[in-house]
Amino acid sequence: MNEIIRLEQLKKTYRSGAIQVEALKGIDLTVNQGEYVAIMGASGSGKSTLMNILGCLDRPTGGRYYLGGHDISCQSDSQLSRIRNRMIGFVFQSFNLIPRTSALKNVELPMIYARIPPRERSRRAAALLEKVGLGDRLEHMPNEVSGGQKQRIAIARALANRPPIILADEPTGNLDSRSSVEIMELFSGLNRKEGNTVIIVTHEPDIAQFTDRIITFRDGAIISDRKVDRDHPPAASKVAAAAAGREGV
Amino acid sequence: MLVLESIKLAFSAIRINKMRSFLTMLGIIIGISSVIAITSIGSSIQSVVDKQFASIGSTYMYVYPDWYMLDDGVVSQSDLFSEDEIRGLKEAYPEMIDYAVPYGYSSSDSRVGRTQASFSLMGVGDGYDVVSNMHITYGRMINENDVKSQKPRIVIDETAAQRLFGKTNAVGESLPLTIDGVANDYTVVGIYYVEPSIFTPVSTDNQFSAYIPYSLIPSMVHSCSNIEIYYASGYDAKTAGDTICRYLERVKDKEEGFYTYDSVEQQQGMMNEILGTISLAIGAIAAISLLVGGIGIMNIMLVSVTERTREIGTRKALGARTGDILFQFLIESMIISAIGGIIGTLLGLGTAAVGMKLVGVDFAVNPLVILLAVGFSAVVGMFFGIYPARKAAGLDPIEALRYE
Repeated sequence: MNEIIRLEQLKKTYRSGAIQVEALKGIDLTVNQGEYVAIMGASGSGKSTLMNILGCLDRPTGGRYYLGGHDISCQSDSQLSRIRNRMIGFVFQSFNLIPRTSALKNVELPMIYARIPPRERSRRAAALLEKVGLGDRLEHMPNEVSGGQKQRIAIARALANRPPIILADEPTGNLDSRSSVEIMELFSGLNRKEGNTVIIVTHEPDIAQFTDRIITFRDGAIISDRKVDRDHPPAASKVAAAAAGREGV
Repeated sequence: MLVLESIKLAFSAIRINKMRSFLTMLGIIIGISSVIAITSIGSSIQSVVDKQFASIGSTYMYVYPDWYMLDDGVVSQSDLFSEDEIRGLKEAYPEMIDYAVPYGYSSSDSRVGRTQASFSLMGVGDGYDVVSNMHITYGRMINENDVKSQKPRIVIDETAAQRLFGKTNAVGESLPLTIDGVANDYTVVGIYYVEPSIFTPVSTDNQFSAYIPYSLIPSMVHSCSNIEIYYASGYDAKTAGDTICRYLERVKDKEEGFYTYDSVEQQQGMMNEILGTISLAIGAIAAISLLVGGIGIMNIMLVSVTERTREIGTRKALGARTGDILFQFLIESMIISAIGGIIGTLLGLGTAAVGMKLVGVDFAVNPLVILLAVGFSAVVGMFFGIYPARKAAGLDPIEALRYE
């Protein structure tokens, strides 16, 4: 399989006054195209820092980050904007939809910055909303839909420019367990059916269980990187129970 | 640049915060409308003044001994002009001088029946109606024969005729006047009409202007100190004035510069300069409110940037470049300001038009001022929008996304 992400001795050091904080202490990591990965860790473990760097919102202070073969460490701000726009689909914990702007317009947003013509934009946005099951909510405002539906809009938006990577930061953090399962199933579908590389940052083990590979962080370093054993899921949890319940129905 | 998208976004942002946007615009509206109103009123008054000068006759001037050149400041008999000297002057420059008479002015009270009136009396010669663009509605103007024969003849205006004789065509009526202690009955030979303007005295006080032959104002005829002149329209005031003064100095054996002149052309130039300066000064004061309006825009744009921090972070995460964000906010402040400018222009023009209508002056607009006002308001919007837009564009996406 083609590798899409490669980190070589990636370091990130924050300096505040005389104190230096090593958020990432030399990470080596490779993610192949089409992988479905969860990044886990407690808060302060460095997973958010890694997420920001993977998303090209931040630059490493040491080491190398290759995204689709490009060295990200030495790109200008406007090049990083372009890479974010074309290569990465962001999904946030708090959705970050533009308020008082319709679902359709929200999904169009990344395409505006990709300079896609208006007609093509709204056609594609409508198709994407259809795909995430919101074909009948095109003109709804974000405050007129439920949390789960908001996240669906956000996922449709993440897919707008057909980026090779979907990067989701605690995508179920603000959702009830039922919506969480639905959103995770949507991600699983995108990965299995569409072949998207999906990276999910979470601190919930049962959310991580939806993926194929779990990378665990502690104190700015990877402490485990393992395949998910689907035959032996961990002990019952709210999401697993909900998922089981759904399967039962 | 995402021009169309940024404009659409700006309008939707303005629509979402209608009240706030309007209040922000208010500063610009007040600034622009006062500038427009003041400059429009200025140019309206200017055109009235021009018209007024034109009604006197723009080639009018009078020549007199320069007071500074007189010994002890006393005019002696030899400095003054006789009727023959004035005639000689006109004959010496027939091409250049259309009209030249001794300046004569007097006033008198009069009574016709029970109606009391007071008259300002201008002494005029033949052809005065032509050079001063007078509008004679009945009868005729004072002519050469009236001057020579010294017959008591008078030309009054329609309002006076109506007031004293109860009709506008009062030709042939008799009007008793006392000039320099000499009482006489003056025969009305003509009626003239003046268009009312803000400079026309209110006629309720029965104060009228009338014309009589200059030869009937005795104190002026043989030794007048001022000559009234209309020069031909092909000449300018300086050429005509200098030529005439130098001629008179030669004839009367005076040193150069002894005689001098005042002309409508000079007066008009001075008046226009004064009006222009006043308009400019008041306009500049009004422009200060534009500055205040601009600061209002900056303030509200800063609030807007803070409110929309997460949105800006999201946009950046989704691929908006620094320039895209900068442009978006710059366009928004420019549009707010330009809308304010357009509303202000309309308001200012309306105010000026209504005001000018009330005082009965024709409304005159300088289209350049409108263009300048709207353009300037957009510039104000851009200038005061730069700082907030830069602040928005410079936000760190990670911080912005985390902003609560």
